[in-house]
Amino acid sequence: MPTSPITSDAQTMSALRRTLSLAAARQVVSSSNLANLSTPGYKAQEVDFDEALDQHVGGARLAVTNGRHLGGGSDAAGGFATRVSEEGAARRDGNTVQVDRELLNMTRSAGEFARAQTALAAKFRLVRYAINESR
Amino acid sequence: MSTLNTAVSVAASALSAERTRIEVAVSNLANAGSTRGADGKTYRRRDVVLATDTVRSFDSALGAASATGVKVAAIVEDQTAARRSFDPSHPDADSEGFVELPNINPAEEMVDMVGASRAYQANLTAINLIRDLVSRSLELGRA
Amino acid sequence: MAIDAIAAKVITGVGTGTLSPVAPTGGDGGEGFGASLARLVGTVEDSHHSANAAVNGMLNGQLDVHDAMIALQRADLTLQFGVQVRNKLVNAYQEIMRMPV
Repeated sequence: MPTSPITSDAQTMSALRRTLSLAAARQVVSSSNLANLSTPGYKAQEVDFDEALDQHVGGARLAVTNGRHLGGGSDAAGGFATRVSEEGAARRDGNTVQVDRELLNMTRSAGEFARAQTALAAKFRLVRYAINESR
Repeated sequence: MSTLNTAVSVAASALSAERTRIEVAVSNLANAGSTRGADGKTYRRRDVVLATDTVRSFDSALGAASATGVKVAAIVEDQTAARRSFDPSHPDADSEGFVELPNINPAEEMVDMVGASRAYQANLTAINLIRDLVSRSLELGRA
Repeated sequence: MAIDAIAAKVITGVGTGTLSPVAPTGGDGGEGFGASLARLVGTVEDSHHSANAAVNGMLNGQLDVHDAMIALQRADLTLQFGVQVRNKLVNAYQEIMRMPV
């Protein structure tokens, strides 16, 4: 495991990029839930964390071994698997979506995305500075 | 698939569907006393049937699409019997003095309308949230 | 040199793909200037191809905006880095040429 701070810069950027992808995946899943708030029988979905963790590790390896791989998942949740959420009792029409919970999740994920984006932008600036100032 | 854009499409589908629900509820309320509908008979209460609408990605063959929007599957006429009210003076009263009135419960329609309105608002909030994220994504491209 | 150590490793690890790392000047012992420059150009070109593919993917709706932006930044940083390395390589070459035989 490399301990040099230089390599961990690269790892940080990778981690930030995965954070962005995960946050985006959460948004699309929450969005689907909210859209089907009134659909009879619809069960609320959520991103499958256990699989998401595996994919994080696997995804990083994938990105490193194939230079042309763009990293975007082939399905609409950005490559993350989903599962039916345990939370939420079903209403009379069988629907389990709870408005407040989904909106809260979306707000939280939006915050994660924003923070990761800010950090990543800052990293880009730092690297650019390092390149240009080392003339 | 562009995840965030898909999320917007999904939320937008809900705006459309919930608006239809509101329109139908309004129509029901407005016609609560209509004994002469478009077909000359008593107005029948209308109901909106919603169904999921899967958003497929380009590579749907490779994996199940996980974005589910909503669509109006059908607008159906409520088949429960019309209310019969005794009112011989009504112009549309039948030979026994009964009038067939639409089977509409205004309170129920109001509840539907409020529910649809809340869902509309929630999805609108979602769209705004996501739009903000997309513009932040674009900022990543700035030098 | 500062550029090589810091920036090279950062760029190769951004996460959307591996570029062939540019060898630190003098660190690989034996690679000719021509070969170094050629490899440098290849690296820059690769990153630009990836960036083009990413932007097209974004326009097609197949790729997320943030992924495309990251690819663009990578390409830009790789180019800037490449320019600096090229300058240093050329300077080193010129210095050597100036040495009296």
